Amino acid sequence: MSNAFAVAVGEAAAATLPRLPGAGVAWLDAARRAHLAAFLRDGLPAARNEAWKYTSLRALEQRALALGDADAAARAVDAQALALPGVNGPRMVFVNGAFRADLSYIDDLPEGLELQPLASVLARDAESLRGVFGATATDAFDRLNATLAGDGVLLRVATGARIAAPVHLVYLGAPAVADLAWHARAVIELGADAELAVVEQHGGAGPHAHLGTLVSDIRLQHGAHLQWNVLQEADTGATLIRRSAFRLAADAVVTLHALELGGALVRHAITAALEGDRACFVSRGVFAPGGRQHLETRLDIRHRRRDTASDALWRGVADGRGRGVLHGAITIEAGADGAAAQLGNKNLLLSAHAEIDTQPVLEIHADEVKASHGATVGQLDERALFYLRSRGLPLEQARALLTSAFCRVALDGLDNAPLREHLAARLAQHLPRLAGDVEA
Amino acid sequence: MTREALRAEPEATNADVLSAALERRYSAGFVTDIETDSLPPGLDEDVIRAISARKGEPAWMTDWRLAAYRHWLTMTPPNWAKLDIAPIDFQSISYYAAPRQGPKSLAEVDPKLLETYEKLGVPLHERARLAGVAVDAVFDSVSVGTTFRKELAEAGVIFGSMSEAIREHPELVRQYLGSVVPAGDNYFAALNSAVFSDGSFVFIPRGVRCPMELSTYFRINALNTGQFERTLIIAEDDSQVSYLEGCTAPMRDENQLHAAVVELVALARASIKYSTVQNWYPGDENGVGGIYNFVTKRGDCRGDDSKISWTQVETGSAITWKYPSCVLRGDRSSGEFHSVALTHHRQQADTGTKMIHIGRDTKSKIISKGISAGRGQNSYRGLVKVERSAAGARNYTQCDSLLIGKRCGAHTFPYIEVKNPTAIVEHEASTSKISDDQLFYCRSRGISEEDAVSMIVDGFCRQVFRELPMEFAVEAKKLLEVSLEGAVG
Repeated sequence: MSNAFAVAVGEAAAATLPRLPGAGVAWLDAARRAHLAAFLRDGLPAARNEAWKYTSLRALEQRALALGDADAAARAVDAQALALPGVNGPRMVFVNGAFRADLSYIDDLPEGLELQPLASVLARDAESLRGVFGATATDAFDRLNATLAGDGVLLRVATGARIAAPVHLVYLGAPAVADLAWHARAVIELGADAELAVVEQHGGAGPHAHLGTLVSDIRLQHGAHLQWNVLQEADTGATLIRRSAFRLAADAVVTLHALELGGALVRHAITAALEGDRACFVSRGVFAPGGRQHLETRLDIRHRRRDTASDALWRGVADGRGRGVLHGAITIEAGADGAAAQLGNKNLLLSAHAEIDTQPVLEIHADEVKASHGATVGQLDERALFYLRSRGLPLEQARALLTSAFCRVALDGLDNAPLREHLAARLAQHLPRLAGDVEA
Repeated sequence: MTREALRAEPEATNADVLSAALERRYSAGFVTDIETDSLPPGLDEDVIRAISARKGEPAWMTDWRLAAYRHWLTMTPPNWAKLDIAPIDFQSISYYAAPRQGPKSLAEVDPKLLETYEKLGVPLHERARLAGVAVDAVFDSVSVGTTFRKELAEAGVIFGSMSEAIREHPELVRQYLGSVVPAGDNYFAALNSAVFSDGSFVFIPRGVRCPMELSTYFRINALNTGQFERTLIIAEDDSQVSYLEGCTAPMRDENQLHAAVVELVALARASIKYSTVQNWYPGDENGVGGIYNFVTKRGDCRGDDSKISWTQVETGSAITWKYPSCVLRGDRSSGEFHSVALTHHRQQADTGTKMIHIGRDTKSKIISKGISAGRGQNSYRGLVKVERSAAGARNYTQCDSLLIGKRCGAHTFPYIEVKNPTAIVEHEASTSKISDDQLFYCRSRGISEEDAVSMIVDGFCRQVFRELPMEFAVEAKKLLEVSLEGAVG
């Protein structure tokens, strides 16, 4: 690979690999080198790559990004602004990929909860992470992340432990001398019958155009319950590539709510492997690109065992020159009889320059199943607009009201009421700004 | 074993039904033994020149083929479809096979040939008149007989083989050939452009409503000859035509490649309806043999208010890989796609459509019904694209899949790309098996399981069948019944 991005990765990796946490552990060194070699060989995905059809990386290819931020610990962050209503549990904050103990609370953890920075685990007991770091990487950014991520989250919930307060994971980009790339990894394990709620938040502490990658490996033993909530408000210049990989054992349940609002180029791949009978994966989300934003969510839900269930409900609203992409793939493997899968994606296209691409995919290899999907792209109902205006609402307000009602259904199932109202408010605040961002 | 025979044996158990049906032979599997004049297997520029020379083509046509061939050499076979395709050795295929005697009229047609059509029930000769259908029968690669030509000529309709059209109407062919599917459009279209042997040519002049439904029966006969037909249908302003294409091939043990290109051009207010019943040899229950049906079909609604409608019933071929598409260029033009695709045993299908909305207030409708049985793999793949210019565009897509058995697969890969905020696009898909409740209800009314399945499948496909011309609808229904025998158990 000869583009500026790959050259910079090669150079940075050579200097960084010996200093990464866990360096010197033979299998980890070998795995990192193998991932790096694979990345340098294949580079970033080309437009011809079907999974990257809608995501243009040509601009990124031309950028020689520095790796990590040596001064991450000194970046000014308003700790007060990080607080979220209804989220009062332990908190871990990462600035430009580096853990900030001063902004985090991980002391006094409730019983059954283990929460610590990944870097210290890698340095102390890399062997316990072999299953994660030794695994094969799916695509170019997974490879980059597997090579270069030196920090992140290690979260374990003991068997039967019910953690009441949600764990808050915050990833911030902060302006540095130059734009940079950061890579973080989260390893989350729930023991049998454990219960946990997590809030993953992305934000910016000032304007920047960093590239961030985050890979979260989330594993649930049988009967575990996880609520996973995402508020993505990265800086408008940021590129953010994430993968959340869920693996569910029998009777495990994941409920995911995601609000994708920020960033310039954001891609979130959500994979869910339903590996035990009756495992259930529910996902709800809203993506609302405006300005020149590209917001992409890719669901890959695999039913592997009997009577597994998945339900996905996503809303997209595109304004300005924004582009919203939803790829929603459901695979029901042979033998997964009794599986029930459903996906709905409705989209509003609000501007003549915006674009929505939606691709609901079904792959079915078993016959005792119920699977369906639906996708629509349209605009606000003229009659409803007219009705609201006839009641004296100005056009803009009427549009905003209908648009947020359209999206609201994706948040309705969120149990944490203060958080739900906060997310709804963030969304309502974001929506009218969408079109206005064109001029910006 | 026929269905009547099954009914005559009330004691037959499901297992008997199953094994009897599994052993059924491909009913159209016979080989007509006539001499053919073939080129030896292999492909290079000389072969293309030889094809062109044998057909007495003008130099521009030869050059067009050669340009396509040179482009093809630079391309690689696509691999994105959800298909498991054994590598194709393009050098082992014979690219030209024509019956040795050139018949001048139906009376001169080799009786064995006519017998072949007889077995297939092609309404040729008097039967053609009774059925009210004009037939341009393509036997392997060369058109051997055309009926109703006079009546059509009176209406001003040109209906004949592509070879004739190149000789007699070069200006029309030159103007339209490759204008919808360019020579280098895709790997198999490029190959077709280089070596196409024959096909049908239809021209409906301005204001003419074609007095009858036009029909072509394609048949692959000689061993190891790829069939590369090229069909071009042009409907001028305010004209109307309905075209029927039926396909069947005798039993062969080696995979045969069929890479056709069909181009439709609809000018202002013209309407083209293109119906296909494809029953090529699907291979046996172990996946041995069968046709590779890799076809590029595309219609161009070039004029305002034009309409193109594709209807297909795909029950044959080992692998079906095609996407009859509509480019909705004219304002208020509309495109439709109705499809039933059935895969049984080890058949694979990756089929669907593309609706490209460019003009204002364009409309498209997609109804796709996939049925998978045995170890069949059936994929719907479709693109609905609304360009920025397509204000007021409207699309409705419904794709349903029916699973019969535990080892088959049904897949849906829709692509929806919308760039205009006044467009409305709706897509719905569902996958299920035949419901136990429905089956139980039918059986409690004394209907056998096989008949119940047949009824339910017929109902499932009804939306598509009613788009077919009547005689085709009957054939399609029968084909589906025969193809599904042995799927239940």
